[in-house]
Amino acid sequence: MISGFHRFLVRGMTSRAQRAAAVLAALVFLVPASPAQTTTPTSAKTAAPAHKRAAADTAAPTAPVKTIGNRNAPITMEVFSDYQCPSCGNFFENTLRAMIQDYVAQGKVYLVHHDFPLQMHTYSGQAARWANAAGMIGQFQDVDAALFDNQAKWTADGDLEKYVAGVLSPANFKRVQGILKGCTAAPATSKADRSVPQADPGCPVDPYIVQDIVLGYQVPVQATPTFIIRYKGQSYPASSGIITWPILKQFFDTLLSQ
Amino acid sequence: MTPNETHGSLARTLLLLGRLALAAIFLFAAYAKLKPQAAMPWSGSSVKTSLSLFAMQVDSYQLLPPQLVSPAAHFLPPFELFLGLWLLSGVLLRYGSFITTLLLGAFFAVMVRTYMAGLEINCGCFGPGERLGPLTLLRDGSLLALALAVTIGAFLQGRKGRELSAPTAVATPQRAD
Repeated sequence: MISGFHRFLVRGMTSRAQRAAAVLAALVFLVPASPAQTTTPTSAKTAAPAHKRAAADTAAPTAPVKTIGNRNAPITMEVFSDYQCPSCGNFFENTLRAMIQDYVAQGKVYLVHHDFPLQMHTYSGQAARWANAAGMIGQFQDVDAALFDNQAKWTADGDLEKYVAGVLSPANFKRVQGILKGCTAAPATSKADRSVPQADPGCPVDPYIVQDIVLGYQVPVQATPTFIIRYKGQSYPASSGIITWPILKQFFDTLLSQ
Repeated sequence: MTPNETHGSLARTLLLLGRLALAAIFLFAAYAKLKPQAAMPWSGSSVKTSLSLFAMQVDSYQLLPPQLVSPAAHFLPPFELFLGLWLLSGVLLRYGSFITTLLLGAFFAVMVRTYMAGLEINCGCFGPGERLGPLTLLRDGSLLALALAVTIGAFLQGRKGRELSAPTAVATPQRAD
């Protein structure tokens, strides 16, 4: 799509200088979109699990990596979740944790997290910010688990920082805090009228959260957790609610036996 | 045609329409659950995948233990297909519609319980992707009412049929003397 747009621009240009300017503009537009790809060799990216790959890219904050497992796994599962939603916590503790230890560890499933903080939850937007900031320094998996493990506690008092600090080294916690330093406005959350939420211009993680919310609108996510399973290029219909690990595993086994 | 005959004809027509509507709904429900969910051709494997996907929807109701979820998910769609064909045939309609009413009653009770519990899940009624909400409850409640009406109609018609086919009582011959 971008290359088509680029061709359209170049055809419309009459002078060589205009064409050169258009190409330069396209390059400037494209480069910030994929900073991680310029810092990590392709072979290393495909060989290591996503969260470990991200851990290696600690030179500068990049797009948050909110995936767990090998991206070449035959099954991809995309989960739209809200850190404060009790069903999401239950789904993580009773299903996703077992799945991560079993099929994700075995390289059968690649887990992709998408944020879909709901407006009715006071702290879910802020929790998503912490998770995204941790994803920027390759520590998503630990913070993701810590947020769900302590959901009941921070839901009561809003003290998310304590639980994030508990799973990160002091140096990494400082880096995460640094990323969130400019986040002063209210965090972005999904809207009942499906309007695009406003990202805090000073908050580097907000655009990624808004991107996930917009993606969720397209699914459409009507409740959390909602997940989509992809296998051999086919997407299966979105499911929502709590599915137990034995039943989810059975579905994966059916797909893998095709 | 007498008013009684007109009334009887209308009742028979309504019963036929109700029976056919229920049959079509059950056949469609079974088809929606068994059809390939991704761009796959119909095959044993695609049906197996669809049933596994349906098992996830059954599981999301949080009603059955995991060991019973899969048997229930593998039993329901073929049973719906069987009921749809039974209703379509019209054979022993009283029993077919009675079983249909019981099944729809059970579905409706489970759906109301789930909705009242605040679980935001897919209904799974006509395949994946339909959220359980007030509209699905209204629809399934209406189907239950239709099934109940067909069952009552089938029993009434059966009784009427028995009355008409019963041998007429013969008057005891009077002695001439």
